[in-house]
Amino acid sequence: MLILLWFLWDASSAYWYEFGISQLWAAEWYPYESLYGLLPAIIGTVWAMLIAMLIAVPCGLAAAIVSSEILPVSWQGWIRLGMEMLAGIPSVVYGLIGLWVLLPWLQYTLDLLTGHNLLAAGMILSLMILPTMMVMSQDALRLIPIEQREAAMNMGMNWNQRLMRVLLPQAWTGIRSGILLGLGRALGETMAVMLVVGSLDRVPDPIYNILEPAQTLTSRIGREMGEAAFGSMHFSALMACGLVLAVTAICLSLLAQQKRSFV
Amino acid sequence: MIKRSLILIAAMCVGISAQASERISAVGSTTVLPVMSQAAEAYHQTHPDLMITVSGGGSGVGIASIIQGTAQLGMASRNTSSQEQSKLDGKVDNIVIASDAVAVVVSKAVYESGIHQLSLKQIADIYHGKIKNWKELGGLDKRILVIDKEASRGTRHVFAKAVLGSSHARAEGASIISGSNNEEQMIVSRSENAIGMLSNAWLNDKVRGVDVVVDGKAIAPTIEHVRDGSYPIARGLHVLLPHRATAATKDFVQFLLSQEGQAIVKHVGYLPVR
Repeated sequence: MLILLWFLWDASSAYWYEFGISQLWAAEWYPYESLYGLLPAIIGTVWAMLIAMLIAVPCGLAAAIVSSEILPVSWQGWIRLGMEMLAGIPSVVYGLIGLWVLLPWLQYTLDLLTGHNLLAAGMILSLMILPTMMVMSQDALRLIPIEQREAAMNMGMNWNQRLMRVLLPQAWTGIRSGILLGLGRALGETMAVMLVVGSLDRVPDPIYNILEPAQTLTSRIGREMGEAAFGSMHFSALMACGLVLAVTAICLSLLAQQKRSFV
Repeated sequence: MIKRSLILIAAMCVGISAQASERISAVGSTTVLPVMSQAAEAYHQTHPDLMITVSGGGSGVGIASIIQGTAQLGMASRNTSSQEQSKLDGKVDNIVIASDAVAVVVSKAVYESGIHQLSLKQIADIYHGKIKNWKELGGLDKRILVIDKEASRGTRHVFAKAVLGSSHARAEGASIISGSNNEEQMIVSRSENAIGMLSNAWLNDKVRGVDVVVDGKAIAPTIEHVRDGSYPIARGLHVLLPHRATAATKDFVQFLLSQEGQAIVKHVGYLPVR
């Protein structure tokens, strides 16, 4: 891990020395004019992650509750198998599904100029992290001892109360890990996002406009890595994007660890 | 038993690698790519021992991979920049195998609404974001989907130089960035309001090229107009051949320039150089 960080730092140090940390909130990215602002891609990444979580967390949680608390046990194995298979599908396949199904649908139903936008990226990402979310939540729910459920039932709690007062608080640690893991995947996903996000290096206008093409850190690296000459400032700037991603991902997993050991 | 099968597998690997005695990888412009892949296929029939793999990425990627030595042949649909050229000088031959027109393409619906020709000034205004609606050009009341290309793409360099003044000019009006020709073709054909830039060989029923007005005369993006030099956004299609390339690689480039190779160029829709 340290070696990886050191490598990213080493490769991007030319960029940090030249431009400094202020590039994180500079809005212009024009490699040929030596302008390397990271802000548009950072905003894009944050939006894509937020949208993905807003869809995937409620859906994944609901699916987990339905499959582990409501459906008969014999179905659970099948549902789990399906989810695990979903998790194993290569991301480019999701990207292609997005390209052929989601984008035209978005374009026509919302009457947009183009379906390539942050909303599409977030929706594809949510589909990709849904299985992780669901499997983790399901595990957490299943780990709750049967005695707890029986005790809750003996106290005369109805189903709603049991869910909100007993099951969810008990399972919260596992669910939180699922959320953070999902965030990590959403953060690092490249291929599917690159195909649908539109790759336009511009801060959304207004900033909450998620229906215009935008760029994420990963899609920028994916698009531009091939052309950046090794050792050039452009290359260094792309490495800096990588460093920002890596540091964020490490923070997320540290957060997940900490919660797990303390709670 | 296990030992014997392992030896067998190892022998097979050696056998396979010995059989396909040479591999060439050609990387770069997706405009040159159809010529290269069809030529590779034709060449493979007479030279079965030579494996040629062709992949895209764009002119910038093609030139970078020749500089870094990761490919045997580079493909580029633009001239090298002075910065790139300084790294290639004396080491790489830059061979023009064809030329073509960069067409200004619009969606079928736009074309049928009456937009058949645009002046360079109008195109520049669209890409600078000064014209945002087809209505301003006599079309329908629809916002324009302005497709720009990744900065390293050859088509982008040539287009920006001819229309916007410099090959790295900003296009503030861009609404989306595309990569390969295939990707751009798909975005245009899916949209009803798009304008973009594509080599003339990629035009089809849903992706129409408009005439470009030069000095009051509308000039269609055809091979004839590239040949007589009247179409303003034309360019050469290049193959980069390192001096240290093997004899087989050099022979293959000669094949591209031969009658048979040039017939493929013509078949794809570009202007042969010979």
